[in-house]
Amino acid sequence: MKFRYDVVIVGAGLAGMRAAIAIAEKNEDVSVAMVSKTYPTRCHSVCAEGGTAAVFDKEDSLDLHAWDTVKGADFLADQDAVELFVSECPKEILTLDAWGCPWSRTEDGKIALRPFGGQSLNRTVFAKDRTGFHEVHTLYERILQYPNIEIFSEYFLTGLIVENDEIKGLTAIDIKTGELTLFEAKAVILATGGAGRLYGFTTYSHNVTGDGMAVAYRCGVPLKDMEFFQFHPTGLVPSGILMTEACRGEGGYLLNKDKERFMKRYAPEKMELAPRDVVARAMWKEMIEGRALEGEHGLYIALDLTHLGEKKIKARLPLIREAAINFAGIDPVEKPLPIKPVAHYTMGGIHVNKNCETDVKGLYATGEVACISIHGANRLGSNSTSECLVFGRIAGENALDFVLNKDFKLVKEDEFFEEERKIEEIFNKNGSESPYAIKKELNEVMDNYLWIFREESGMKKAVQKIKELKERYKDVKITDKSKSFNTDLIYTIEIGYMLDLAEAVAVCALFRKESRGAHYRLDYQKRDDVNWLKHSLAYKTADGVKVDYAPVTITKWEPVERKY
Amino acid sequence: MEVIFRIKRFDGGSSYWDEFKVPINMTVLEALFYIKENIDSTLAFRAFCRMGICGSCAIRINKKPMLACETQISKLEKETIELEPLKNFNVIKDLVTDFEGFFKKQKLAKPYLIRKSKGEIQQTPKQLEEYYKYTLCIKCGACVSACPVAKRCLGPAPVVAAHRFNRDSRDEGKEERLKALSDHIWHCHFVSDCSEVCPKNLHPAEVVQKVRLEVLKFNLGW
Amino acid sequence: MSLNTIAFYLHRITGVVLSLYLCMHFTFLTSLKTGDYERLVKASKEFFVLHLLLFLACIYHGVNGIRLVIHEFGYMYKYRKILLYLTFVITFVIWVLFCWKVIK
Ligand SMILES: Cc1cc2nc3c(=O)[nH]c(=O)nc-3n(C[C@H](O)[C@H](O)[C@H](O)COP(=O)(O)OP(=O)(O)OC[C@H]3O[C@@H](n4cnc5c(N)ncnc54)[C@H](O)[C@@H]3O)c2cc1C
Repeated sequence: MKFRYDVVIVGAGLAGMRAAIAIAEKNEDVSVAMVSKTYPTRCHSVCAEGGTAAVFDKEDSLDLHAWDTVKGADFLADQDAVELFVSECPKEILTLDAWGCPWSRTEDGKIALRPFGGQSLNRTVFAKDRTGFHEVHTLYERILQYPNIEIFSEYFLTGLIVENDEIKGLTAIDIKTGELTLFEAKAVILATGGAGRLYGFTTYSHNVTGDGMAVAYRCGVPLKDMEFFQFHPTGLVPSGILMTEACRGEGGYLLNKDKERFMKRYAPEKMELAPRDVVARAMWKEMIEGRALEGEHGLYIALDLTHLGEKKIKARLPLIREAAINFAGIDPVEKPLPIKPVAHYTMGGIHVNKNCETDVKGLYATGEVACISIHGANRLGSNSTSECLVFGRIAGENALDFVLNKDFKLVKEDEFFEEERKIEEIFNKNGSESPYAIKKELNEVMDNYLWIFREESGMKKAVQKIKELKERYKDVKITDKSKSFNTDLIYTIEIGYMLDLAEAVAVCALFRKESRGAHYRLDYQKRDDVNWLKHSLAYKTADGVKVDYAPVTITKWEPVERKY
Repeated sequence: MEVIFRIKRFDGGSSYWDEFKVPINMTVLEALFYIKENIDSTLAFRAFCRMGICGSCAIRINKKPMLACETQISKLEKETIELEPLKNFNVIKDLVTDFEGFFKKQKLAKPYLIRKSKGEIQQTPKQLEEYYKYTLCIKCGACVSACPVAKRCLGPAPVVAAHRFNRDSRDEGKEERLKALSDHIWHCHFVSDCSEVCPKNLHPAEVVQKVRLEVLKFNLGW
Repeated sequence: MSLNTIAFYLHRITGVVLSLYLCMHFTFLTSLKTGDYERLVKASKEFFVLHLLLFLACIYHGVNGIRLVIHEFGYMYKYRKILLYLTFVITFVIWVLFCWKVIK
């Protein structure tokens, strides 16, 4: 099969859908295909709970939002991008309002705000605790109204076709039929989300395997700041399902086994609402030092919401309550919830500038798959959905400008056959290794050596172990030899992607000899601005990961010590 | 402790039952992954968020359409558990059904905010609560599976979506929507099983009756 | 099959049976001539049991129909389960009363 669209967007999450709408709103004649491996309403963005940051409070200012973001990022964010970002957030919220997003409201009918970690003032717009769900549905509903957006659901991206540093199209497996499909395009926007399933204990959906990053990386596009992975303080034990930061924003406490609000020792001013890296580290320290509680699934910390009362919990955190009852058998109205830090956000991603452009002409990346970078070494809660909206639109508009008055570049038959051959090769694999066993071991490596506290010897082991797993992956066995809906094949390809990404994470982490934001090393506990105030860029080469560095853009805010 | 999963399989040609032993202390979805990763990797099912919000994993568990991710095996209190794909959808493979038609039908009900006015929008919490409940549809297809007439008509989900916007104070497109529904809303026979199975408790059966009356009034010009 | 679905199918089936019967019944009635009293009595004796069952179908269809109309007009949704059970109970009670009456 072969299709041809002016712009092909891969990924129908918040970022991808926002990009599609941005194009269709401005131009009715440009054809857009939105290709994704799930139906749009099933993307991972529906899981976002707590909210979306934007300046609405009268006391608040864009500069303050930018400063909080830069400080939260431990000064690794590009400040020009951050300034652009904060200035566009409020518009996006109002746009979504006009498209039907059921934002929570104040009594006088205005959009309500709640506090989130690392914010100087209340800045998180929300729709109960199902913000992402409502945003996704709002965008999806909007998309139904544009005739020039075609939705291709359950198509799995396998490769980009690039010639002379210019994009020509991509290939994707039509999961329903198993056929490899060619999409010719003048521009491609990658919006495939993060890579959270690298970790075993994670808040992410099953399908967040970093495909877009890996595919671009294999085409020679560098990945930026992959060592920075966010750990969210409150993942429900044992499933890892997120208990949103809004639990603490609404007034919840973190307690150790002595019922002490231990955050007072780590962040006396912000307490539970310090940025996530700070809180997660504090919790991990409590756990290591024997002050955690212990249950049938091991150590945990208590998230106490009982004092908020049933009324508030029902009104503000209904999803949390439902999830806690369904998945942990505990009603937060009655008892504290067992939680511990959990892998939650991929700060790194495809290296793009603030126009979402990669070094390949016509190839854009936006949303969690991209690293622009506004989150630097640590993302502030609720900045990511805003990022998807703001930079989704920017990517769409830039791609639109790019395709106007441009011709298609033909994809040669050989180029397509080459992609087909690669997939055939995997499909026919009949070795002795179970892909699922490899994935399990990969998760263990990541959970053990690239977790909240890192050190040289562990990371070296991780690099070594990932190399071994990559070798073993060559001898993998695909049992399912049928064409239609072959998830055995899809999962196996995903695991291949994850191995590449894990290697980039491990190598970049090993090289960065400092502690910054979410990357905390026991052997280098201080931030080192002299040597390490720079972005890592990982390139895939024949002999492994090559790491290069790029400067951080600083406009207004020189790095200072980070205290909360 | 273990239980037996009897799974209705379909390989594109024929369908047959398969049995697996799985541990009891997990959700149905976790057990499906357990089978896929340890026993039979050809088993196909859909699963994404595993927290009851993406709507991918609705299947029939002991005949009742449910979300596999939200269902603890132990709570089913059975030693043998039957898993089948949703009814009223074409089966693609094993527990995976074709949702293209479902999403196409959704579109017929104009499930989006129609608003021409510009300018700042206000909506009080009370106005929000008027429709909020109906925003919670995760489009899992459980209601369609439970409905004996859904295959040949719109099915409950799109009507709920239309109702959600009809009640939204920001919306200006109720008439348009009622007109669009005029040709599609009469097939309901109030079996009301959709209300019994909806994992988000949206009571589609009630909504359909309400919308039908609205369409009726609209058409009669009352 | 849930009781809801059973009620649904019963409603369809009784509907079809009743319309078929009505057709036959009207044909029969219009074919009657003066003095056919004997034929009439004979037929009603021959089909006695069938008639009892037909009446059961008729009551069910009627009572269930009323239930559906109530719901369709947006009433008593909350009591849908009770109403469903009641439909069967009422049908049965009316039918027993009827049988008792005709047999006596
Ligand atoms: C549990 C949880 C809660 C969160 N809560 C918040 C919050 O409160 N506030 C906030 O700001 N952020 C939050 N985040 C982060 C935020 O949700 C994500 O960063 C954001 O939703 C990412 O959106 P996206 O559009 O980039 O990607 P996604 O929503 O992940 O979408 C990716 C899309 O790409 C498609 N895709 C992926 N791979 C392929 C492939 N190979 N081929 C084809 N298609 C593919 C998928 O099908 C999907 O449609 C949360 C994250 C988690 C895990």
